[in-house]
Amino acid sequence: MGNQKRIAIYGKGGIGKSSTASNVAAACAEEGYKVMIIGCDPKSDSSITLLGGRRIPTILDLLRQGVKVTEEDIVFHGYRNVRCVEVGGPEPGIGCAGRGIIVAIKTLRDMCKEMDDMDLIIYDVPGDIVCGGFVAPIRKGLVNEAYVLTSGEYMPLYAANNICKGLRQIDTRLSGVICNSRSVTREEEIVRRFAEEIGSKLVAFIPKEQIVQDCERDGFSVIEKAPGSDIAHVYRDLARAIMSNSDSALPTSLDDERLRELTR
Amino acid sequence: MAANDISIIHPRPSSIVAALYTLRDLNVDVAILHGPPGCSFKHARLLEEDGIHVVTTALDENGFVFGGRRELSSVLEKVNEMFHPKLIGVVGTCASMIIGEELHEPVMDADLDVPVIEVEVHAGYANNTKGVLLTLESALDIGVIDREEFERQKVLLEEATEVEKRHGAASKEYLAPSRGDLKYKVAQRIIELLKEGKKGLVIMNAKKETGYMFADINVAVHEVASRLGVSGNVVNMANLDESLGLPRVRDHARNIMHDLKEKGVQIHDITGGLDEYPIAGHVVDELIAKKYADHDFAVITGVPHAIPMDHISHMEIISVTNGPRQVVPLKEMGHRHVVVEIDLHPKTLGVNHIVESELGATLREMAKETLDCSA
Repeated sequence: MGNQKRIAIYGKGGIGKSSTASNVAAACAEEGYKVMIIGCDPKSDSSITLLGGRRIPTILDLLRQGVKVTEEDIVFHGYRNVRCVEVGGPEPGIGCAGRGIIVAIKTLRDMCKEMDDMDLIIYDVPGDIVCGGFVAPIRKGLVNEAYVLTSGEYMPLYAANNICKGLRQIDTRLSGVICNSRSVTREEEIVRRFAEEIGSKLVAFIPKEQIVQDCERDGFSVIEKAPGSDIAHVYRDLARAIMSNSDSALPTSLDDERLRELTR
Repeated sequence: MAANDISIIHPRPSSIVAALYTLRDLNVDVAILHGPPGCSFKHARLLEEDGIHVVTTALDENGFVFGGRRELSSVLEKVNEMFHPKLIGVVGTCASMIIGEELHEPVMDADLDVPVIEVEVHAGYANNTKGVLLTLESALDIGVIDREEFERQKVLLEEATEVEKRHGAASKEYLAPSRGDLKYKVAQRIIELLKEGKKGLVIMNAKKETGYMFADINVAVHEVASRLGVSGNVVNMANLDESLGLPRVRDHARNIMHDLKEKGVQIHDITGGLDEYPIAGHVVDELIAKKYADHDFAVITGVPHAIPMDHISHMEIISVTNGPRQVVPLKEMGHRHVVVEIDLHPKTLGVNHIVESELGATLREMAKETLDCSA
């Protein structure tokens, strides 16, 4: 377990964390790595494109039914044997989703033996760290590398900057910034500057391509459905970058003034 | 709640409190409850009688919303200055655990030179033994207990949970509390049995410090039997092995044995340690089958429902419990008389000698009267 990479991808809601996570997972699996993806969003759709569009029972679904949960009940094998797990959560507006993540993560850690064998575990976390539960994977020592995903627009950068503030608060190092393009002018430059100024680096620039959406609509990653596409190569490069990355630093968030200047 | 479990609606012992008592047994000097000021108030107060300080981070509405990392680290620093502890316990509560508080971070923040047992526990477990287990796991992690003791305790806890499910507080959907049978009637019956020359067993199967009071019943029956000249008809058994359990628990066994000896009470059979009440019942059962099957009555104290009925069902059984909700299950098991020593536990905290029980006092008083009358 010493060399195991356990990463979390943070970023503003809707910025493409799940797409990035599942394509990176698929690309790493193709390279022969043992990969697990753990969806921590109550919407439980992180792994859907690795399973041909199929939804799987979530840990919290099973816990709610009061049955004794076993590994086979919650770990599903997707594309190239990527292990897929969904935490799940309560209905919107009811109960406590944060506590749900804490309980599910504990359940998983207690009974999932396969976790130890993985080369890469990706935690796909919800966009906003709204309460204690949402940082449970990091706090419980399950994550050893964090990445931030953003576009060059002001709002996603603002969210990314806030996340860096949070990471510093909980003493978690940042391994890199990934730019998921929204086709904004000077986008790569803006995000690269942002990454450098917070004390990190840009590890990938993912151009905006319609094909990603098209594949997702059918329930697949581009790695699986359009393996020869340019964007598939971008994800493969990102996957390699993540697997070989050993740099990390405590991020220093920027003040709002500087953030606005960057995007002007 | 697991699908196959019954839904129990009477409130039952709390895992948070179980964690506090376990920390006490591990000899912490201070236990800090991380949560609202009223959580576990009654037991937190009682535990101070036992020589440990129990304090709280007193989380309020703001604490629930913004978290209490700073509060906990500052309470850690404060207790370190105030009490100079050698070992500290930090215990979670429902409120702090639901909002996802980490106990480890504030402990690191405070950076004391004192080992800290961190117990992430809330009261939402079906069995309060979970609180004990979580505490022991954490104590094992920081080397306060060894693996062997941990494994031993784990077996005991599993068995204790089973005992409660079979005939205890977890055996029914709702158990109404009861004060049991009148003590003077039961005392009268014991005296009658002794007078008739019946052979009896007095079996103490107590949980830890509660033994300080339950042992008094062995003493009282012995005293009465001696006055009647039939002490040879009474056999005493007790789970008072001085070589088993955590240091504090062994001390209790040693103290109680010392008092019994001083009072001239012979314990014929030691059935286990003071923390072995869930399994000592089987030892009792075997002993009875082998040596005492011909006895006429049995006085069983402490956790009487842990003694199997197999070889005692033909005897007249008098049981003594400190749980008002235990009366109904004991009657259903076939115990003829059930006596409740109300508020026993608070009276056995912070003591190191046998404490008089109400049944014991009643027995002594009534024996005096009957003997004086007949004289």
